[in-house]
Amino acid sequence: MKLRLCHLYPELLNLYGDRGNVLILRRRAEWRGIEVEVTPISLGDKLDPKAYDLFFLGGGPDQEQGVASADLVAKGPWLKEAVEAGAALLAICGGYQLLGEYYRTSTGETLPGVGLFAVYTEAGNKRLKGNIAIQVEELGTDRPVIGFENHGGRTFLKGARPLGRVIYGDGNNGTDQTEGARYRNAIGTYLHGPLLSKNPHLADYLLRLALQRRYGEVELPPLDDTLELAVNEAVYRRFLPTKGKW
Amino acid sequence: MSSAAACTVPGPQRVKWGENMLRAFLAIWIGRLVALLFRWLKRGGTSLPGYLALKIDPQLMGRLTSRYEKVIIVTGTNGKTTTTNLLASILRAAGLKVVHNSEGANMPAGVATALLARRGEVAVLEVDEGTLGLVTRQVKADMVIITNLLRDQLDRYHELEQLAAAISRALAAIPAATLVLNADDSLVTSLSQVRENVHYFGLARTPWSQATTSEVLEGHICPRCRRPLQFNFYHYSHLGNYYCPQCSYSRPPADYEARELELSSAGARFDLVYPAGKLALRTPMPGIYNVYNVLAAASAALLLKIDPATIARVVATFLPGQGRAETFSLRDKRLTLMLVKNPTGLSVALKTLTAGRGKATYLLAINDLAADGRDVSWLWDADISPLLQAPYHRIICAGLRAGDMALCLKYQGVKEADLKVIPGQEESVDFLLGEPVDEGLILCTYTNLALYRRILKARGAVSEVTPLPSLSGTP
Ligand SMILES: [Zn+2]
Repeated sequence: MKLRLCHLYPELLNLYGDRGNVLILRRRAEWRGIEVEVTPISLGDKLDPKAYDLFFLGGGPDQEQGVASADLVAKGPWLKEAVEAGAALLAICGGYQLLGEYYRTSTGETLPGVGLFAVYTEAGNKRLKGNIAIQVEELGTDRPVIGFENHGGRTFLKGARPLGRVIYGDGNNGTDQTEGARYRNAIGTYLHGPLLSKNPHLADYLLRLALQRRYGEVELPPLDDTLELAVNEAVYRRFLPTKGKW
Repeated sequence: MSSAAACTVPGPQRVKWGENMLRAFLAIWIGRLVALLFRWLKRGGTSLPGYLALKIDPQLMGRLTSRYEKVIIVTGTNGKTTTTNLLASILRAAGLKVVHNSEGANMPAGVATALLARRGEVAVLEVDEGTLGLVTRQVKADMVIITNLLRDQLDRYHELEQLAAAISRALAAIPAATLVLNADDSLVTSLSQVRENVHYFGLARTPWSQATTSEVLEGHICPRCRRPLQFNFYHYSHLGNYYCPQCSYSRPPADYEARELELSSAGARFDLVYPAGKLALRTPMPGIYNVYNVLAAASAALLLKIDPATIARVVATFLPGQGRAETFSLRDKRLTLMLVKNPTGLSVALKTLTAGRGKATYLLAINDLAADGRDVSWLWDADISPLLQAPYHRIICAGLRAGDMALCLKYQGVKEADLKVIPGQEESVDFLLGEPVDEGLILCTYTNLALYRRILKARGAVSEVTPLPSLSGTP
């Protein structure tokens, strides 16, 4: 079995340890004997929608994100075609915003996005940052998905399904308790940390989504996640606003 | 997207000594009294005197520095403290009466505390890069040295571009100041503005320069046309020889250039080539980042017309202050304690500490308190390959974020059997002391540094490095 992973703009969108997600996906696949091929795709490169099972898009500082956004919007149709055909995708923070319909700046300017997720983002005053925990139903477990968020933009769902419900933290906009967005096998989220490091359940869910396009339902043999799960639980509990409430 | 260009900034309010005399005297008097009190209590290292004095007289920094012959500000992400201490030592060796702030106290309250402690002819002030504007609004600096702008505690200064814009505004308030800038950092050179009094220092290609880099980079977008920059080579992080393939923006020629660099675990030597000559320098501080610190301090000293022989003599013996890399002996072990606060710092620390070293146990103590930065995702942006290749006996992960550190190492290839997660700092030291190796290397974030030093001292550790004499006048 082979997983073909496309890492979009690795040299531009690389804030907050996001590249760690690619490493984690690679390791968790390789530990199960699944071969992984990572292809970096950047400015001006062509993107073959049929060539990849999983796309990864991180967040970046303003200027890098600005550089990447125009190119990404141009690649948008290819990316949408791939997702429509069943490819999995993970977009974090700035990458998530770019895949929405648009971003409205503080001066009222509207920057178009790819429109993969039915969401839009507006500039906010205070940055929403801190430790965050969410509940993701599809994972079929009470174990939360935890991470760290740091974003100025407020994202609102325009029909998209959220990735999860906020347990604590701000999520999409700090008001409606939603976090992230889903469309088919694509996931957008504000959680970094990097996201997959302390959430092995989410990492494996993503691997299964990516592999099922070509291999159908795949049963992943369990790994020893003692360390991952212990850290997930310890960090989750440490930042619970009122201990024992949940 | 923010645009910071062409802002009109009021000039420096050079405060006249005459106005609000009572307020100023009260501020100075109370500030000194509090400082004296702390001295009696044998509790140094606080910024409280300056904090209280600034509450009484917010213009105090301007007032206190207005009578200095020279005011020099050192700012940037990494290397501020070492550069400040080294420059102060050089100027002092040249016979000048120097005042400067001690390690870490680089916020306005710390700056004011140092200025209150005593009077001098020259002030060398380490200023936090995020609050530079608060200082330049009233302190009419004659020279500003900018070491580098690297990714550091992003949840505080979330983006470097905004930071650069803020520094640019802060510099606009002191148009007459000479700028001493790192030519190898494209973000720093973008701050040169339209000035004539700009001098660049930089490092020529070395045998260690690399065509590519495995670190996550920042600041590699052309500041002029915003296209990605190309690099002929990298020294470390995004420091190197860059050019823009679209417009003419490129690394400026360095007026003060380090050439023929030789690095070893015992230090470094290089030739500093400058407009009026060439100066051979040798430093006992290892690591390429210290080459930059020496280069910045020596270039500034040459600009201040200090005798080159004096500069070389001080550089040859100068060792960084406590906490940068401190070595202790404890029982049968040699323990090194080092501060790491961002991905570049961790990358460079690992490269330096592992070079040529035999079997050792490493202890990485990561906290996420406000002074450390709440977000620890930066651990994954560091290049830890030197550690992976080192003959480590074991790697202990400690601190509030011990687990995050351990996961980062696990996925980068450290076997779980070689990892030990011990969040408690005391317990982690005890475990380290029980290891069957002679050497222990402790890398820790800001709030762990003082804690580990205290734990080591409590167990009888003897410091091998003579700490610098206290430089702010307090014992
Ligand atoms: Zn350019």
